[in-house]
Amino acid sequence: MAAAPLREQLSALLSSMFSQGLVDEQFEQLQMLQDEGGTPGFVAEVVTLFCDDAERIIAEIATLLEQPIVSFDKVDAFVHQLKGSSASVGAQKVKFTCMQFRQFCQEKSRDGCLMALAVVRNEFYDLRNKFQTMLQLEQQIQAYDPKQQ
Amino acid sequence: MAAAAPSPAPAPAMSPKVAVSPKAVDRKVVPVVAAAADEVSNEVHVLAVDDSSVDRAVIAKILRSSKYRVTTVESATRALELLCLGLVPNVNMIITDYWMPGMTGYELLKRVKESSKLREIPVVIMSSENVPNRISRCLAEGAEDFLLKPVRPSDVSRLCSRIRW
Repeated sequence: MAAAPLREQLSALLSSMFSQGLVDEQFEQLQMLQDEGGTPGFVAEVVTLFCDDAERIIAEIATLLEQPIVSFDKVDAFVHQLKGSSASVGAQKVKFTCMQFRQFCQEKSRDGCLMALAVVRNEFYDLRNKFQTMLQLEQQIQAYDPKQQ
Repeated sequence: MAAAAPSPAPAPAMSPKVAVSPKAVDRKVVPVVAAAADEVSNEVHVLAVDDSSVDRAVIAKILRSSKYRVTTVESATRALELLCLGLVPNVNMIITDYWMPGMTGYELLKRVKESSKLREIPVVIMSSENVPNRISRCLAEGAEDFLLKPVRPSDVSRLCSRIRW
């Protein structure tokens, strides 16, 4: 059965994402909602919304930090937004890096914020890659067995 | 795109000339179908307000998996517009984020409770921040409940089991 190795890959990927703390129980809740509802595509939808949102926010923050005078309140507001959506999707590591980021905003430290932004960006890209792999594997598995989600 | 109300059979209270200007149209709003006047809906209809697209998707899913009908909007201003214009008929509950740019969920709560037409609708506030003052202010203002984000299915089912539809 051609789907079996793919399922193993997906299972291993998800396990490692959980064990590395990339995703937490909230992500598991979303998976359960998808399975219970029999609506494939829910997790994909939320993950995609999150990635689009995060990318937009990271770009906005980068622009704000380039200004001669940084508006730390605005940066903080964006970080708060990102923290919120990462919490909602279960992106645990990104959420934690946002919490640290907010400290630098409170301290009004441009250097601190730039560093925190770099960390958030890396964590986000790492997670996004894994989400993309996850979605690809799911699509491939679906192609072999359309009834399965 | 001019009018936001697509139904050809508006409820008697609605003016057929209602047309929302294109600028006011929230393009992310789920299209609303006005129920025909004689149609009795046993379905619980929830209006969910949140500026975060991720959170809207999650709360909508949680509610829909409990078989509630959900209309999502991305701002409190838009929510009030829909409610006051009668474009979202028979809303049984409003669930709103606290902190949103423009009008906050708290302000939306106050407006709803001040309105003779809307005040009976239970309003639930969601927030990612656990601020006791905020929570008690909302409850004092008439909020049905206050949920901490990220919202879980269990939070919502606990909440909905208490509300008398």
